[in-house]
Amino acid sequence: MRYYFRLQYKMLNRHISDFGLHPLIGYGISIAGFTALSFYLFSKTEFADYVYIAIAISMILKLCENKRNEFLKNCFSSDIYYSIRFSENSIVILPFVIFLIYMQSFTPLLILLLSAGLLAFINLSNQFQFTIPTPFFKRPFEFITGFRKTFYVIIIAYILAIISVSVGNFNLGIFSLMLVFLTSFSYYTEPEAEYFIWIYNLSPGRFLLNKIITGILYSTFMCLPIIVTIGVFFFDKINIVFGFQALGYVFLTTVILAKYSAYPGKINIPQTALIVLCLYLPAFLIGIIPYFYLHSIKRLKEYLE
Amino acid sequence: MIKIENLSKAYGSKQVLKNVNISFEKGKVYGIVGENGSGKTTFFKCIAGLERYSGTVSSDFDNLKNHTGFLQTEPFYFSKITGREFIQLLCSARGKQAIATDQRNIFDLPLDQYASTYSTGMKKKLALTAILMQTNECFVLDEPFNGVDIHSNIIITDIIRKLKELNKTIIISSHIFATLNDTCDEIHLLKEGVFIKKVCREEFGILEQEMKDFTIGNKIDKLMLT
Repeated sequence: MRYYFRLQYKMLNRHISDFGLHPLIGYGISIAGFTALSFYLFSKTEFADYVYIAIAISMILKLCENKRNEFLKNCFSSDIYYSIRFSENSIVILPFVIFLIYMQSFTPLLILLLSAGLLAFINLSNQFQFTIPTPFFKRPFEFITGFRKTFYVIIIAYILAIISVSVGNFNLGIFSLMLVFLTSFSYYTEPEAEYFIWIYNLSPGRFLLNKIITGILYSTFMCLPIIVTIGVFFFDKINIVFGFQALGYVFLTTVILAKYSAYPGKINIPQTALIVLCLYLPAFLIGIIPYFYLHSIKRLKEYLE
Repeated sequence: MIKIENLSKAYGSKQVLKNVNISFEKGKVYGIVGENGSGKTTFFKCIAGLERYSGTVSSDFDNLKNHTGFLQTEPFYFSKITGREFIQLLCSARGKQAIATDQRNIFDLPLDQYASTYSTGMKKKLALTAILMQTNECFVLDEPFNGVDIHSNIIITDIIRKLKELNKTIIISSHIFATLNDTCDEIHLLKEGVFIKKVCREEFGILEQEMKDFTIGNKIDKLMLT
């Protein structure tokens, strides 16, 4: 068991290193980020406890994946297997537990501890046969796979748009629109296997154009119910809606280009920093988009020419 | 025709392919055999253009990769993509329409289920179906029979024969000698990154015996099974 956790530690360090950071710096940023976000969350809403529990449990649920646990059962005796499951769940919830103790939120703390204990006995199988339908069949694959993983976020965004209309809060409507775009961006964070670039009978430029057109087309499709809803009810502010929509397209294009400029690696720290910089100073996009484009072309040439 | 000249490939200091020279003609089936780690998959990836290499791979086409169907040993699937969508992806990538997908689903795959939930053999059959629907001129099939049930093995063998009839170039690797015997015109033996032997159909039996003798030797005795 000790060796298993030593391996997990090594793997975690490798993930941080792949992101372009020294592991120690990575841990430092994670702790600082977690603390800052926790304080922010608790200062913003009275339901922070429950959001906190939901986040922690969703992280533990990832450890309930059937295949992974079958492998562990296969490798270890029953006693050690459950020790590993308990230990892993405890490690995952530790930062949440510390913060809940600090906030003196003992009831949520108890719920979290009980959930973590119970979930050590749960294995979630993803072998069910139901396929979530999507309208994105014609141009695979980002929006097909992404939508199936995040459809509930889109539903939440639509609900927020309806709430924004019912309470007359335009900003909430814009937030729901941005939520759809942010979700679309997430579809482009993971690099696909080289084979799925190699198969294209396109030049690097055409390949990128194809990806951008698909992204814009399908993100429009997902945003349309929100645009129509807030566009009709806040017609006097329709220009602002279109402005945010256009901004969404520009950032979507930037994210797609950033993805392929880092290919076959993941989007790394410098690229993320450039995108964040553009969020504050969009004018920088004029220079950053061509920069990412040229790098993407260079990377894609290896697979497409 | 595909002509490979002075093809070499190294991963760091490990030389995987060493100055390989070989050519593949249209309407022929070529078998590549060799031990695990002999360089077969790397060789296939170089032909497909998925690896950088030194040397040349030339063909009748301006860009060989756009006319090549490459079946990987372990095809990769996205986690939430159905079989039908995978076929659509591969066809649209080549600018082809995925026509009559259900009719052409000769392995009776559950195309509306997520491909990642398929068994090993089903994944292989789906990848093969998709590259066949791309209508390629050259097929590089890395272990097409691996993990596939006996009925599908028979179908795949017939597919390879049909592709040969259609004047396609087919290069396959397999660890199952019988399947190569049934399909290939030539077998090339790859060892430590070098093709050490070329065998024509009439000599397949001799090659099989030689490989058995060489591979097994007295290794079973070394196990000291009791």
